[in-house]
Amino acid sequence: MTDQGIAKRATGIDGLDAATRGGLPAAGTTLVMGAPGAGKTVLAQQILAHAARRDESGILVSFEEPPDQLRTNAAAFSWGDRIADTERIAVLDARPQRDVEKSGRFDLAGMVAILDAETDRLAASWVMLDGIDQLLRFEPDEALAVNEVQRLDDWAREKGVTLVVTAKQAASEDRTAAHLAGIEFMLSTILVLSTELVGRRLNRRFRILKYRGTDHVTDELPMVLDVHGINLPSASAFITAESARADNTRLSTGIPRLDRLLDGGYYRGSSVLVSGAPGTSKTTLGAAFAAATAARGEKALLVSFDEPENQIVRNMGSVGLDLQRILDAGKLRLASRSPWSGLVEEHFMALLGWIDAEAPDVLIIDPVSGLLKGASGESPFPMVERLLAIAKARGMTTLMTSLTERESADAEASLSHVSTIADTWISLDYRAHGGERNRALSIVKSRGTAHSNQVRELVLSSEGIDLADVYEYGSEVLMGTARVQKEGEVAQAARRERMERDRRRGELDQRLKQIEARLAEAESEKQRIQAEIDLEEQTEQEADTLSERHAEKVRRRRDAEDADEDTDKENGS
Amino acid sequence: MTVQRGRLKLFITGDAPRSRRARANLAQALETVGSDLGDVDEIDILTAPKQALDHGIFASPALVAAAPDGTTDVLYGDLSDMDRLVRFLGFSKAE
Repeated sequence: MTDQGIAKRATGIDGLDAATRGGLPAAGTTLVMGAPGAGKTVLAQQILAHAARRDESGILVSFEEPPDQLRTNAAAFSWGDRIADTERIAVLDARPQRDVEKSGRFDLAGMVAILDAETDRLAASWVMLDGIDQLLRFEPDEALAVNEVQRLDDWAREKGVTLVVTAKQAASEDRTAAHLAGIEFMLSTILVLSTELVGRRLNRRFRILKYRGTDHVTDELPMVLDVHGINLPSASAFITAESARADNTRLSTGIPRLDRLLDGGYYRGSSVLVSGAPGTSKTTLGAAFAAATAARGEKALLVSFDEPENQIVRNMGSVGLDLQRILDAGKLRLASRSPWSGLVEEHFMALLGWIDAEAPDVLIIDPVSGLLKGASGESPFPMVERLLAIAKARGMTTLMTSLTERESADAEASLSHVSTIADTWISLDYRAHGGERNRALSIVKSRGTAHSNQVRELVLSSEGIDLADVYEYGSEVLMGTARVQKEGEVAQAARRERMERDRRRGELDQRLKQIEARLAEAESEKQRIQAEIDLEEQTEQEADTLSERHAEKVRRRRDAEDADEDTDKENGS
Repeated sequence: MTVQRGRLKLFITGDAPRSRRARANLAQALETVGSDLGDVDEIDILTAPKQALDHGIFASPALVAAAPDGTTDVLYGDLSDMDRLVRFLGFSKAE
């Protein structure tokens, strides 16, 4: 791998290759300085072991420890057997004899000749000179000692091998390599390993003091030394964080009503913080998410800093979550760690190890506050941020729970810090009312989601988990029995209202009927009156006709009388 | 005056100035006791690196003396410190 023209050779140690942007100079010298016990020899051996795995060869020249001691020490590491691969790795015992004496000047031309021959024999690309200060202390003139290192560097450049020289750091203030004052000006690559006691725990640090002509991480980085050897947990985040991308897919939370509140669930690749006091069902929310993940056919990794695996399975069974089934199906990996068992960096490495091994779609850390409890020389938050960045870069969705302890100002501060990192923050709480405590869930924030701010009651039963609406009563919300009571009251009120409505309807119907009856009555009256009118008219008409007839009759008679007047007169009137 | 040491080995690197000085200084010391470089195996690390490796000699010049008990003693440098060289050879005149 090249960077700005410098050819590099990967060490196979992820963190180191990340921090150095590709490895150590392919042709040239890297000086590794550090106090005794800082891990210089382990680093040299580990690089060789990784090289052997890639079918590269190397030479380890030990100026301090006998070869069998080196092998014994290496056997404690996961790569220990690689060091014993004599086909690829030559270990040369260069410890000065006990009664070594010196008469006049000496130089390392002979060593160069030996290294040259061995390099050719093994086709080696790596040469480690471990503890060269043990030899150079016989040269009191430090300028001459530095000259001898220059001789080695010249050879490495010409030969095209990666030379790693370890040396104890002087206790003096300038902290240069012992017996090698001024060497930092000569060599272009210098790594410093250091240790520091924090809370009685050994904290290891790594720093690239100098890497001339190439980009590299200049920060002092936390270093972990575990069964896998040395690693720099935070260095890897420098490369992975950049590749994160947003995903619009929603993942079910495992609680249908919570899904609805979140527009369908958590965004894939987002980070979720579930905070709450002890016993507020944080783990349950995590387990529900794990179950939903398995139901989708995906895999979840649940790391507990609280409980052993079997206890989690048992407890979740009581709320209707059958974790054993999805464990058996290979859709869930449960892992637990004690928060006090290691440094934050060690927890971090363990987490990364599980993530690498399981390649989960969903990562659940319960609680992340357990991770933060581990001793560390630096603030643990950057470590959490890096973990989330790595998870995001790999498309994983992370759910972290966090324990809130109100008495502790520290915990509050930590919570507020973690909450700024998280994309979604769900707060679980107890609400005490009417002599009982009920679990309350509220969504404090959810980036990119039109979420409800209303507090809901989290209801756990052997059937599972659900959310219930809560009732606001004045300035407080009602849950539990109060909610049930209120629900009863509301149902009763609804029943009352329905009955009232029915009653009013009946009344109206009745009135309508009455009116209709009255209308019918009026109609019949109308008809009767009409009939009467008709009758009257008829009678009148008849009367008219009669009287007309009468008048006619009279007229006729009168006419006749007129004609008979004479007659009448004749008849005596 | 007994030579306490077994056969001497002088590790040098070719014809480098320090190697030449070491050879000359050793010859001078041996001469004082009537001996010469004929009693010394000279090993050029440039041509025989394996021998240096076998003896664990990484700095040079180096004078190696095998003691009768099987252990070896090494004197590094161009042997310009004559007192120390003589003491190393084990035939200090004081004895």
